Amino acid sequence: MSKRAPYSSGNGNGSLPASVDTPEFPKGHVDTPPSEESMMLSRRGLLGAMSATLALVGAEGCRRPIEKIVPYTRMPEDVIPGIPSHYATVYQRRSDALGLVVECHEGRPTKIEGNEAHPSSFGAADLVAQASILDLYDPERSTTPLKGGAPASWDDFERELGAKLAGYDKDQGAKLRLLMEPTISPTVLRMRAALAQRFPKARVHTWSAVADSNVREGARLAFGKPMMPLYLYDRAHVVLSLDSDFLQTESGSVRATKAFSASRRLRRAGDTMNRLYVVEPARTTTGNMADHRLRLPAGDVERYTYALAAELAKAGVSIAPEVTAAIGKKADANGIPTKWLGVVARELAANRGRGIIVVGSRQPARVHAVVHAINAALGNVGATVGFAPVADASELDVAQDIKALTDAMGGGQVDALLILGGNPVYDAPADLAFGDKLAKVPFTAHASLFADETSEKCTWHVPLAHEYESWGDAQALDGSIAVRQPLIAPLYAGRSDIELLALAAKAPEKSGHEAVQSTAEGIAISGRQLTACGAPDDMGTVQCKDASGNAIPVHTYELERDWTRALAAGVLQRAQAKQLSPALEAAAIGSAVGAAKGPAAANGYEVTFAPCPKMVDGRHANNTWLQEMPDPVTKLVWDNAAILSPATAKELGVENKDWVKIGSGDKSITAAVWIVRGQADKSIALTLGWGRKKAGRIGNGRGFDAYPLRTTDSLGWVSGASVSKADGEPYFFAQTQDHDSSENRPIAHEATLAEYSKQPNFPAIDAPPLRALPLWQQQDYSKGHQWGMAIDLNACTGCGACFVACMSENNVPVVGKLEVWRGREMHWLRIDRYYHEGAEAGGSEDSPLEFHEPVMCVHCEEAPCENVCPVNATTHGPEGLNEMAYNRCIGTRYCGNNCPYKVRRFNYLNWHNDSVWKETGGLPETLTMQQNPNVTVRFRGVMEKCTYCVQRIQATKIAAKRQYRDVKDGEIRTACQQTCPADAIVFGDVNDMNSAVSRTSRIDRRFALLQELGTRPRTSYLGKVRNPNPEML
Amino acid sequence: MQIFPRSLNKLPQAVGAAATLGLVGVTFLIWYYFSPWFTAVGYMPKQPVPYSHRLHAGQLGLDCRYCHVNVERAPLAMVPPTETCMNCHQVVKTDSAALQPIRDSWASGKPMQWVRIHKLPDYVYFDHSVHVTAGVGCIECHGRIDQMEQVRMEKPLSMGWCIDCHRDVKAKQGDSEHIRPVAQITNMEWKHEGHVETPRHLDPPENCWGCHR
Repeated sequence: MSKRAPYSSGNGNGSLPASVDTPEFPKGHVDTPPSEESMMLSRRGLLGAMSATLALVGAEGCRRPIEKIVPYTRMPEDVIPGIPSHYATVYQRRSDALGLVVECHEGRPTKIEGNEAHPSSFGAADLVAQASILDLYDPERSTTPLKGGAPASWDDFERELGAKLAGYDKDQGAKLRLLMEPTISPTVLRMRAALAQRFPKARVHTWSAVADSNVREGARLAFGKPMMPLYLYDRAHVVLSLDSDFLQTESGSVRATKAFSASRRLRRAGDTMNRLYVVEPARTTTGNMADHRLRLPAGDVERYTYALAAELAKAGVSIAPEVTAAIGKKADANGIPTKWLGVVARELAANRGRGIIVVGSRQPARVHAVVHAINAALGNVGATVGFAPVADASELDVAQDIKALTDAMGGGQVDALLILGGNPVYDAPADLAFGDKLAKVPFTAHASLFADETSEKCTWHVPLAHEYESWGDAQALDGSIAVRQPLIAPLYAGRSDIELLALAAKAPEKSGHEAVQSTAEGIAISGRQLTACGAPDDMGTVQCKDASGNAIPVHTYELERDWTRALAAGVLQRAQAKQLSPALEAAAIGSAVGAAKGPAAANGYEVTFAPCPKMVDGRHANNTWLQEMPDPVTKLVWDNAAILSPATAKELGVENKDWVKIGSGDKSITAAVWIVRGQADKSIALTLGWGRKKAGRIGNGRGFDAYPLRTTDSLGWVSGASVSKADGEPYFFAQTQDHDSSENRPIAHEATLAEYSKQPNFPAIDAPPLRALPLWQQQDYSKGHQWGMAIDLNACTGCGACFVACMSENNVPVVGKLEVWRGREMHWLRIDRYYHEGAEAGGSEDSPLEFHEPVMCVHCEEAPCENVCPVNATTHGPEGLNEMAYNRCIGTRYCGNNCPYKVRRFNYLNWHNDSVWKETGGLPETLTMQQNPNVTVRFRGVMEKCTYCVQRIQATKIAAKRQYRDVKDGEIRTACQQTCPADAIVFGDVNDMNSAVSRTSRIDRRFALLQELGTRPRTSYLGKVRNPNPEML
Repeated sequence: MQIFPRSLNKLPQAVGAAATLGLVGVTFLIWYYFSPWFTAVGYMPKQPVPYSHRLHAGQLGLDCRYCHVNVERAPLAMVPPTETCMNCHQVVKTDSAALQPIRDSWASGKPMQWVRIHKLPDYVYFDHSVHVTAGVGCIECHGRIDQMEQVRMEKPLSMGWCIDCHRDVKAKQGDSEHIRPVAQITNMEWKHEGHVETPRHLDPPENCWGCHR
């Protein structure tokens, strides 16, 4: 509101109050990757380069280069050169499967998009899925089987594995073990069963550093069988997240974001929205969206849950007596703000059947079970909380499972260990010393995308095919199943997990394709659950059996038809509409809570481990886009950090960039410090997946490895850690935004829901008057298409999917850490974030409110950049686009200096070749295969910026012209809009009063960024509305 | 004592005149010889197979779209795959020595490597389909292909040349001589006589992002 000082000055980057990080040259330049070290050319080098250039000018200038046209020999069906084709596929994200549509140019996959038909995607994709296309083309992926580190052939491996396994036929594989990651693939499970059939005594273990064991086990405790909860956030009026980052790193975050944002999209003043309470130790994307956020160490969340249950019981919620009895003994509200119990309990009790309590996957299973009991007592189960069957019911707790395996390895009970995917030497619990025990196993084989830390210690390494190179299938969280079809033949001679399992099991299926197709036919033959189809007879009829064993004839054309349809749609079988609403087994929960030692009293420091939003568990460490993507919370690139609260930092006597030594048990690590306001005191947050040693040129040695502190019984956090300041030069961090205050400038408009209903156009009221008049005569924008965009800041969660989508679509180069520090990052789209104390909305100095705002070129109608370009390289198009002609640009950078939004980026170097890949002689050929052929790859010396995805506008316009029709609303979708899980971005024709973008821009809380400058931007923003509970303030 | 003859008094004028003429000459030379009208037009490289458009498109009367199938629906008109040649040449001229590369390609699966003649810079995103469906005939950019034994570049394909046509069509619509009925796009003999009904309002772009991205 106008009277409020919206963003108190100072209190910058969550770092030190009133600190504006002054740029100083990085003295403690500890992490200078060799590729970035010296961008400066010596005088001698410069002269050499100049003379070489001169020589080349003479040689090349006179004749026009001969270019060849290489057509197909035999034209593949459905390929039209120049027009991309799209294929549906599916990508595993933790326990969820994300349905995707992949754009391919002449057989080259280039861009990932969400699949609208898939129930976990609804057309959106998250940032990791967006970036996965770069992993596919990673030039450092493993290219050949390795035996003891030396290249070998697949034949050698097959022979040796075959001989080894043949030896186990007698004792049924008693000393054979298989270690794999949790799977959601029906075919992998089928192949695993085939392996178990061949070797009944062999054991399968599962391990992943980022798993949902506690979630499954919690549901099993509460309801008797392992299930995955499904939260229907769109139906909830109040959501309480207990250490759950359900909008970013937890399983099913895309569907969660879709639903959550749907109920925060206010169409007009008077609309209602949900209220989000978050209890968490470290800031996350979810915490940033919270209306009320309580910073609480992870170890205290259990205490909070029990205290809340006791409070709910007081508020008249009848939680199962066995549960209340068990937690009654342990309830301890010491140190928890009373409002966070009383008020939250009252609000949850008042919204029975319209609330959700969600627990984070690192919290122990018993907390999950108790929360299921509370949700059941509140009537939420069956209304806002559903349950779906898990794909692999036999999966055990991953920590216990890998412990059982390492114990057996240490005890000499394992003769051969096959490791399918994963990287246990790097990420297994430190107390198990997995790497050391591995040496005691005579035959070990590791299949993975990269020859990594684990491969190095195994007798054999074989390259695994990437998901986009191989057939597969995946079950989504809700139980629906989709087929993963390959988009390209394996680039590096990899084989898929299904093929390797089939090889070990001697399964009849020769290829992954065959295996997946026969699974699919078993799942969805004409919608019937049929199995055991034999070979077709002369008439093409196969005899199938239904569940009760009756023979049912099915014609092969039916099988083909269903298969083709499933491939085209991207969904093989939809989940049943009705979710499971099972009966609560309260006694089991009670005894589990009673038997547990916890919650332990807090002692010393706590160190929490969370999957990195970018690296997950470290598997994407070699991905340049993700490395250079600013962390959603800290805005750090190319690093993680030990996150401390200001109070903890003061206690330890450290500042940003200082080092701390963190010890737990006999293990310790050192890490550099980053201070974030909003972090719980006495709690230190580290994200997983950093500090890799064998990730590849890009990922090696980046950030700080937290795994040495992580043990079997402390996968979520360790308490009682010893933390002290360590010596060392200040660490060199690079951030994309080092100042976090908006300095009272009206660029981040927000209000509370109450203020909004009183003053619906609050951003306009806040905005200063127009203070610059147009320089030139106004153009007439009333005719034809006029493109514009609208961004709903209330729906946006700041997850960063748009960011990676933009890099992928527009060939945005990566510049490296040092150049980001110099402020030369090339991102066309950035997500600004501001902190403010905002006591009126529940913020405080220790835990400020966060505001984030995606900013890309706003396509001003009166563009300041155009006025200063001396060569007319940036001009205005008739459809309102601010156009940039790279070939005219001479690189004066006047436009960038005159742009008030700072969205223009200058190519100081030929970034694609001369930044992170410089040492390998430029951008590797495989990575060029990812580039979008419809967007110019910019060279050094030119300016660039967001184009509103003009290539998509033009392609759609041309397609419409070709069909002699007009462009339909919604037909053109920019890359950021397409992938946004929150549907926060709308694009279209602002001249069409009925277009989605026009309707969105007419919403009362609209504002234009820096409108007082008279730039008349085409991008509108909708002001953010918070929904604080007045009782909490 | 006069050292220089009187006639040298005219030297400054002569030098001036020569310089002026020279400047005009150099301007003309650069204006013409540095322009695509000279550097590009007439480019006629040798192809791996001496394919004659005069024979196929002219005398035999094959429609352009028999080989360049995507011209109406894609940015690229597409140089045909070997398969298209073999549609006929499996039975026609099966022993021709000139066709040996085609048969080799067909047998080995290795694609033909034709030399590109009509080359636009990489930052130009030209789309055949939008031109052809507007009624811009093949002849407008490629000339009388049906009379070429060996294909040569007929038009400069320079930006100024493109824009001239865009401006003309925008102003005159169906009265522009560059526009013909869509049914006649491949007809090399068709002459523009009077107004042509255009299938849509023609609005060829003149802004940068119309063609560059």
